[in-house]
Amino acid sequence: MAESVCRALRDGSMEGEHAAALTVKDSMKCPYGHNVFNHVLTQLSSNILSSKSQSKGLVLVALSQSPSFYYDLLRSRGIVDFVTNKWIHILDGYNDPLGWKKWLSEHDKIGSISSEIFASTTIFRNIKDLDQLLSLIIEVGKGLVGQGKGRFSVAIDSVSEMLRHVSLSSLAGLLSKLRGHDQISSTFWLLHSDLHDIKATAVLEYMSTMVITLEQTSESFDQQQTILENLSLHEQNSCKGKIQVRMKRRNGRVRVTCEEFDIDQSGMKFSSASPESATINQSLLPKVQFNLQLTEKERMDKENVVLPFEHQGNGKTIQIYDGRRALTEGKKGTEPTPTQQLPAVEDSGKGDIIYFRDSDDEMPDSDEDPDDDLDI
Amino acid sequence: MAATKTRASSFSRNPSLLNSSHTSPGLKHGPNGSIFVSSGIPDLDKILGGGFSLGSLVMIMEDAEAPHHMLLLRNFMAQGLVHSQPLLYASPASDPRGFLGTLPSPEKGLRIAWQYKKYFGEQQPNLEAHRDSKHEYCSDFDLRKPLERHFLTRQQISCVSIQDPLNLTSFREHCSTFLNEIQRIDGITSCIGRIAIQSFCAPQCGYSNMDWVMLSFIRSLKSMVRSSNAVAIISFPPSLLSPSFCKRWQHLLTYCFQLKQSEPRHVSDEDKDLAKLLTGYQDMVGLLNVHKVARANTQVPVILEATTFSIKLQKRRHLTLECLNQTPVDGASKTSYATTGSCSGSSKTGALDF
Repeated sequence: MAESVCRALRDGSMEGEHAAALTVKDSMKCPYGHNVFNHVLTQLSSNILSSKSQSKGLVLVALSQSPSFYYDLLRSRGIVDFVTNKWIHILDGYNDPLGWKKWLSEHDKIGSISSEIFASTTIFRNIKDLDQLLSLIIEVGKGLVGQGKGRFSVAIDSVSEMLRHVSLSSLAGLLSKLRGHDQISSTFWLLHSDLHDIKATAVLEYMSTMVITLEQTSESFDQQQTILENLSLHEQNSCKGKIQVRMKRRNGRVRVTCEEFDIDQSGMKFSSASPESATINQSLLPKVQFNLQLTEKERMDKENVVLPFEHQGNGKTIQIYDGRRALTEGKKGTEPTPTQQLPAVEDSGKGDIIYFRDSDDEMPDSDEDPDDDLDI
Repeated sequence: MAATKTRASSFSRNPSLLNSSHTSPGLKHGPNGSIFVSSGIPDLDKILGGGFSLGSLVMIMEDAEAPHHMLLLRNFMAQGLVHSQPLLYASPASDPRGFLGTLPSPEKGLRIAWQYKKYFGEQQPNLEAHRDSKHEYCSDFDLRKPLERHFLTRQQISCVSIQDPLNLTSFREHCSTFLNEIQRIDGITSCIGRIAIQSFCAPQCGYSNMDWVMLSFIRSLKSMVRSSNAVAIISFPPSLLSPSFCKRWQHLLTYCFQLKQSEPRHVSDEDKDLAKLLTGYQDMVGLLNVHKVARANTQVPVILEATTFSIKLQKRRHLTLECLNQTPVDGASKTSYATTGSCSGSSKTGALDF
């Protein structure tokens, strides 16, 4: 669930553990990764401001949007306190990531750059030097929370943007160093999975503790039609999609949940997955040879069986058939012989076992030795 | 008639000679003249028929989502330290020595209040009331208790971080000097070295893109280890390696284990189904699949009874491996156990065989 992810980011990591890391992964089929990223960002920001979270500050590396976009976003969500309470710092990698504008202005090719300078924005001009970026992040973060035990969070707007300029292993090195730093409590980043090969996605998933994957709700065979549908929905200012959240827990188990989301003007709304869109749960129980479960019919039949020695329920006392008396109820073919029938069943008229004792054939009072008949 | 016992064939090794020569508890002699080194986990030693054979290279394919390979590595390293065997540990962390603090401590043997000395006489003059863990081939490790400091400071342990060096030649030289030094410490074969490399192709290492370089490193490590008295363990995440190289590594290494996690929990009640299917599902922390076992000096391949084992932590202290107990499946049914995909997080692993 998106709520559990935000809670995990809020709670951060324990002492000695690597920082919690979230990857938000989207693709062209469901291109709303930015919305999810912004949602997570605003949730974490409000948690930081209300002091509910482990981290006391947020460093945002903005590469695909300018810093003013983020300030407007936070303002629209009701978070306005930037100046007095220093809790956020944005590293601007959007305006001049490769330092070209500066180079051009130094060589008087273009006029001097005038950009909006916010108090808590630092522009960095060399995205290819990740060591410098790392030290800048840490320095800025320490500035937010102080030198002591304070911890801060790091958000990277788009890791895809970084992968345009740097290699995968150096990016992985940066992320692992961020996660391993004592003062960083949680990190999260956005990735567009169809811009990179599978290995890049696998590496980023390996390095993160939580992965949010955006998928489209309906599997439409016609991709063109899906995109058109999405566009028309977009015009109505509402977009739908599905997210799948994979969370790695400390004991090694993984928890997978699915949710649907709905984007409109005011933000994102998450709802639990509707039944028909839930993945088909194959029953894991294989067919066992001895099945101890009863079907309905079998259960009813079982209830109908009348057991011997059971109270018949019709007010009469239990009749235990003694056998010495002749059967009075209609039975099959009993001739009035002194044969004695031993009791076999007591219930009325279901079945009968007729047993003739061998010793009944004997004449009474015969004490003869049967061997006397033999002539040895 | 003087009945002199003559040997029919002179090719059989006389085991009594061997037993008197070695005194180290860290070794065990197996059939066909093979020597085994304990892995630190008693159940694993039993499965492998004694332990890791000397000069072998063990591969552990990690699960990208679970840290269980660390448990195996910890037990392996701690066993070596308990037996005073020199250890080389390499990991992509910038400070690998920190990992040594997480090594488990061996469980002391049972204290039996019994007067052994009365019965054994002069055979075992040093027998104490409790068995010293040093004399056991494989100790039972308590994962919650850290290893005592004197084990860590006593013998040579070197830790290397494999994150920074872009090429592996410096690491390779480090390994070769380490292995050469083992020969020099002790003249007899009782000194065994252990090498543990964790997360070999982790993405933050600079060489992780260079598949052929890594492969040649593993090949040279294998030749070094085979000619010296050492056992090496390498763990790596297979999802970050291309499948053809994963297969190449599997062929190159002597033992191959794969760790998988039990089925990821969907919010539905799949857990209850799995709990019905496997006994003790709740205690299970993961699955261990044994892909390849060494053939110690024999041409006959070793065929194990079962290749999938569940990893359990008894009272969170002891690592045990158990065969999976499963309800008998109707053979005629179409939906076989493997295709329903339970017990394996990824579909690329084949059917589990029991």
